[in-house]
Amino acid sequence: MAEITLQDLRNPIIKGISMDIRDRELLVLVGPSGAGKTTLLNMVAGLIPHDGRILVDGERVDGLPPSQRHIGYLFQDLLLFPHMSVKKNLLTALQRLSITRSERNERISSMLELCHLTSLGDRLPGALSGGEKQRAALARALVASPKVLLLDEPFSSLDFRTARYLRLELKRIHSQLGTTMLAVTHNLEEAQDLGDRMGVMTGGRLEQIGDVQEIMLQGRSAEGGFLEKANVLPCAYQESLGNGLIYVQSAGGPLFVPEDGGKPFSRVAIHPRHVYISPYPPPGPQVNRFQGRIREIRHAGGMAHVELMVGDQRVHAQMTTEQAQALSLASESPIYGILKLRDLHGC
Amino acid sequence: MNRVSLLPLVVLFLFTAGVLSALFFRLSPGEIIAALGSDETRFALRLSLMTSIAATFLALILGVPTGYVLARTDFPGKAILDTFLDLPLVITPLIAGIGLLFLFGQNMLGARLGEWGIHILFTPWGAVLAQTFVASPIVMRSSRAAFERVGPRYEWAAATLGLRPSQIFFQISLPLARQGIMAGTILGWTRAMGEFGATLMVAGAIRFKTETLPIAVYLNISSGDLGTALSCAWVLMATGFAMLLALRWIGQTPRSETLPSR
Repeated sequence: MAEITLQDLRNPIIKGISMDIRDRELLVLVGPSGAGKTTLLNMVAGLIPHDGRILVDGERVDGLPPSQRHIGYLFQDLLLFPHMSVKKNLLTALQRLSITRSERNERISSMLELCHLTSLGDRLPGALSGGEKQRAALARALVASPKVLLLDEPFSSLDFRTARYLRLELKRIHSQLGTTMLAVTHNLEEAQDLGDRMGVMTGGRLEQIGDVQEIMLQGRSAEGGFLEKANVLPCAYQESLGNGLIYVQSAGGPLFVPEDGGKPFSRVAIHPRHVYISPYPPPGPQVNRFQGRIREIRHAGGMAHVELMVGDQRVHAQMTTEQAQALSLASESPIYGILKLRDLHGC
Repeated sequence: MNRVSLLPLVVLFLFTAGVLSALFFRLSPGEIIAALGSDETRFALRLSLMTSIAATFLALILGVPTGYVLARTDFPGKAILDTFLDLPLVITPLIAGIGLLFLFGQNMLGARLGEWGIHILFTPWGAVLAQTFVASPIVMRSSRAAFERVGPRYEWAAATLGLRPSQIFFQISLPLARQGIMAGTILGWTRAMGEFGATLMVAGAIRFKTETLPIAVYLNISSGDLGTALSCAWVLMATGFAMLLALRWIGQTPRSETLPSR
């Protein structure tokens, strides 16, 4: 297990990044395409030259070749060796270790079991599904017990359902092994699901780093910025229901909000990406629902930013342009919305 | 597709068929078969196989690592060096042979090699050398293209797994590039088998000593022995045909063992 310290890492793309990744932590860096996320990982892995220092457990590794840094890497395109079976891929990763054959076999069996690949060990990568390849690549990156694991957009090429499942698998494996991990992604939902902490990168710089929820709720209000500022809705604190839920009354109607350690709050925050809207009333009980009117729709960078009026409260929703077109949203038209329980935060 | 566009195809087919049938039907099958069994034909075949296999082996030793370096590194003057190494492909083999003759003659390397008991000119080693000279750039180009197609990323992955550069080359790069390298090796070997001009200059045309199949064809055509000449020509054509089949087979390797398509 290990701590990593990056000190003023620089190259033509990265403009001086310094940060610490704590022992056993899963830190996720989010940012748009071109922010330098993959470049940063390649620098940490020793695959591209750079200025600045990299320390693992206090020892400098920036002068070492990739093979001597004991840093595992799950590449975005996985890079499973196509001419080797899954077992042979894992065996290749164990060559650097001075262990007996039986120890190697034991490690391979354990890792295959951990990643639910036991029956697929003899298959070539070409005969695996997308999710199976992802797990095989993860197994290969972890089998030699690296001090740190780097993950580059680990689930970007997968369908929503498979990606969701594998995120949970990665969290499970992370909690079981305790390996320090640094992941990069452009997917905010992935970052929220995976990260113990989150950082935001844009233009080769680290803009923010901190607790995932804090980062999501702070956001940045700049138009076209990667993270939109959260909606903060005043509410009247009503009552604790005793099952981890708080019942509150907001401008849009009654809300169930997750209890946060019994701390009282007078406002509820929710990120615009988690405000789900439709021109039609959603089915089901009228809790965590609202009704309002679209005030304005702006399009920027493939995203639609929708400003709603819910009573006298302005609420922002964010979705892809395609989603907005599919909903046939129009200014001044009535709108219905859902605020999911898990996305609401008392503050 | 209109008929006029098929005309070049027909002309090419007739041209090729005409040349091959002229070789096949000049003598009766009985005369050809008798010549195939002659001591001279068998000697020429044996010598051609030995020299071409040795030359191909040397071409692999020289060409594959050179192709790898050219595929993976960038340095000033690389384009010039690359072009220079391709020159044997375009130099007339006869001219290349003259150059080898002078290089390994008494006025240059030949004297020093002679002191060590090594004799190149007008020996089968001269044939090996000439064939290596013409086969190496073919193997090098094919290897380079194969390594470029593989790309460096699998090597990056191997490096992060702790493999040393030599392990990466032999366990990852070479196996992944094997299709292209094999194709280049077959082409190089075919070229070596059919090499004549440079071999004539360096090894000479000495019966039962430096008499490869192409040299045998030349000597026997010159002396009017069509049987031996044509039997050697048949063997060379059969070799070429077998190489074409081998190249097709290589191109049909199962996809699961090859690189993912990009």
